[in-house]
Amino acid sequence: MSEVTKKVDARGSFCPGPLMELIKAVKGSQVGDVIEVLSSDAGSAKDIPEWVKKMGHEMVYSEKEGDYWKIAVRKMK
Amino acid sequence: MEKYLKKEEGLMEQQAPKLSIILLSEELEKVHAAALVGSVAAMSGMEVNFFVTMNGLVPFLKESVASKNFKTGTVGKALVEKAQPFYELIENGKEMGNLKVYACALAMDVKGWKKEDLIDLFDDVIGVTAFFGISQGGMIITM
Repeated sequence: MSEVTKKVDARGSFCPGPLMELIKAVKGSQVGDVIEVLSSDAGSAKDIPEWVKKMGHEMVYSEKEGDYWKIAVRKMK
Repeated sequence: MEKYLKKEEGLMEQQAPKLSIILLSEELEKVHAAALVGSVAAMSGMEVNFFVTMNGLVPFLKESVASKNFKTGTVGKALVEKAQPFYELIENGKEMGNLKVYACALAMDVKGWKKEDLIDLFDDVIGVTAFFGISQGGMIITM
């Protein structure tokens, strides 16, 4: 059910780079798609869930894997 | 779920539908912070307007951008080396949200600058009265 439709590797990009990459990916996706973003920026790990909540999308997961975060978002509208 | 989302949307609109940023400073740290706040706000569904005035216009001159000649402090130097440039942040905000950038007519006139002297981000050159009309009813911050 949470199959990743699109993957974005934004590791190495500073705040708000990973968020912007995610937003671009969400805009170019269909409702129901799951976008996974990889981020090494700690700020984005907090920012992305806020943006997702605010925009009415859905967090699928947010996990830390070593020195980066793996965050997946489902486009809801 | 549908109902819940609608409620969320409504809340968001009530919170802050419009943000206007008066950018006065040529210090890169302030310009970058303004670009960051404004672009993320635009991508989060807010209407964002920049009014760039006085020395705030200097970093937006084609000449400054081409030569990377910005007024920087400790953090600014690192921003130039490592971060996404402020004008790219604003560009992203324009592409993915409702973001407009206006230059102050007074500052442009006294310096003899034309819209063509500025990088290709500006929607118009306007005066204070026009800016008040544009920013009316929203939040205004000065940087």
